Amino acid sequence: MEKILEVKDLELSFHTFAGEVKAIRGVNFDLLKGETLAIVGESGSGKSVTTKSIMRLLPEHSSEFKNGQILFNGKDLTKLTDREMQKIRGKDISMIFQDPMTSLNPTMPIGKQIMEPILKHRNVSKSVAHKEAVDLLRLVGMPKPEARMKQYPHQFSGGQRQRIVIAIALACNPQVLIADEPTTALDVTIQAQILELMKDLQKKINTSIIFITHDLGVVANVADRVAVMYGGKIVEIGTVDEIFYNPQHPYTWGLLSSMPSLDTAEEKLYAIPGTPPDLLSPPKGDAFALRSDYAMKIDLEEVPPFFKVSDTHYAATWLLHPDAPQVDPPLAIRERMKKYPGSRYYEGTEGGTY
Amino acid sequence: MAEKLLEIKNLKQYFNQGKPNEVRAVDDISFDIYKGETLGLVGESGCGKSTTGRTIIRLYDATDGQVIYDGVNVHDKKSKKDLKEFNRKMQMIFQDPYASLNPRMKVLDIIAEGLDIHGLVKNPKERKEKVVELLETVGLNREHADRYAHEFSGGQRQRLGIARALAVNPEFIIADEPISALDVSIQAQVVNLLKELQEEKGLTYLFIAHDLSMVKYISDRIGVMYFGKLVELATAEELYANPMHPYTQSLLSAIPLPDPDYERTRVRKSYDPANHNYQDGEEIAMREVTPGHFVYCSEKELESLRAISSSK
Repeated sequence: MEKILEVKDLELSFHTFAGEVKAIRGVNFDLLKGETLAIVGESGSGKSVTTKSIMRLLPEHSSEFKNGQILFNGKDLTKLTDREMQKIRGKDISMIFQDPMTSLNPTMPIGKQIMEPILKHRNVSKSVAHKEAVDLLRLVGMPKPEARMKQYPHQFSGGQRQRIVIAIALACNPQVLIADEPTTALDVTIQAQILELMKDLQKKINTSIIFITHDLGVVANVADRVAVMYGGKIVEIGTVDEIFYNPQHPYTWGLLSSMPSLDTAEEKLYAIPGTPPDLLSPPKGDAFALRSDYAMKIDLEEVPPFFKVSDTHYAATWLLHPDAPQVDPPLAIRERMKKYPGSRYYEGTEGGTY
Repeated sequence: MAEKLLEIKNLKQYFNQGKPNEVRAVDDISFDIYKGETLGLVGESGCGKSTTGRTIIRLYDATDGQVIYDGVNVHDKKSKKDLKEFNRKMQMIFQDPYASLNPRMKVLDIIAEGLDIHGLVKNPKERKEKVVELLETVGLNREHADRYAHEFSGGQRQRLGIARALAVNPEFIIADEPISALDVSIQAQVVNLLKELQEEKGLTYLFIAHDLSMVKYISDRIGVMYFGKLVELATAEELYANPMHPYTQSLLSAIPLPDPDYERTRVRKSYDPANHNYQDGEEIAMREVTPGHFVYCSEKELESLRAISSSK
């Protein structure tokens, strides 16, 4: 499939009073046309910073691209001038933010806010923009769109506000849509509606979506591929089935184990011990090693490279090195692996071997 | 079953009562909480679950109804002394660990505030020792006592909130979405801590949340609220295995699970209150369908629900 966005060896640091915070330490991924790539990881793992650097939304005075490229249609976004970037932002690449309460302007009617990107990026008259804004509101499922154009954000509920934010993001039919925890602030029922809406719209206009979340249930629902981030790096990337049913990195194991499932009655939830690494002085070797039960000596000394699991599945852990001892993942993970034909714990009859 | 710690009887909380913009946030709900159990309360935002918690602890004065704690109605007129004693027994953990800690106070003073008010410590040395003990209970340490709240991460702040609630040796804790603001891996840590503390100190919890998978994990029984009404109440296992009220079914069908195969086939049910087709004069109330499983329904619905559950 066609690649629409390529992130290559991206490194980015923030300069703070305490020193240089290495927020992204070499991130590589491609985004294919029409797919949804989910990025998961805990706070501070660099998932939001990665997407904000694609949008060039980070403060210029304190952040610095150290290395790497972000190629969008062959252009390197890190090298563009502000003016060139403004032409792309909101038109070709747009973003949905986490908090619909704060990402809308409280003093401006929502109709005007939806018309803003249309008027800015496309050479159309106000009346055309107005008509398109009404259509967009209808598209995202807002009842009585004409009447609501003149209303202010406080007159809408949380779910409705998120629909408005989505309408603004879609105003120019973007090729890439970045959704940064778009449903975290919403209820399950509203969340389900918004996710269904995003999937419908994706089919209609064939946008590629980067979906950031820490809710693995949502990931299983929306994603085609999943990238797991930890300590400013991607530690595992693969299709949604590969990540959920055949995970290889101990951090992915920990993440999947800490979600309670609805059908088992565990005595104690698995909690990943310790705290995320301090990126002021990132640990040598595998950043997760200090919190991992599976850490080996080499994990503390050398950064693991990506090992290939399949054509679509890569994981950065020394456990996959041919010389590494074979270890058994936690029980809950082995249960998951039993379902997956390519995994060494597979218990089906389709004859898959590791 | 164990003895009742708390009885909530026909509790009502109306805002702007009698005015055109009257809101019936909690509309005539009744339930019991038993000693040592965790009762989960779920529902979407605006359904009245937080208001219920806040009315129980008397942050709001109830419009009508009773909250009977250990045989005494919480909302009766009380002397200052009685009220203080009651406040000691019942504590609350709040949703937002950023807004619920005073940014200008040291952790030591935040946690010791309850101790001071209730006169539970005699001198500064004892006060400090008690706070350190509490910090250690929730997995923090001695050095943290002299810091300010902004120096802590979200999960650590929630631990401070828990330590503050525990300071006065309460019997009953209302946890109002204590983990919603936290990361998945940190959520597990906080939930495990709450469970450990419950076993150690024999606490009773009212756990309010909208994350249904965590609620199932921590709760013994679960109540589902919809627009100010309690629509279903059952043990956690039973509620998830056998949801009876159509709203509960719709709520459960909306939860995404970390299982792509399941997600591909999950069908979301929507709930339309009009589908009940209640006739005028029909009495709708909480009725016990199977032992311990209550559903808000009419007499007619009760019969059909009983028929369905006995055929299973």
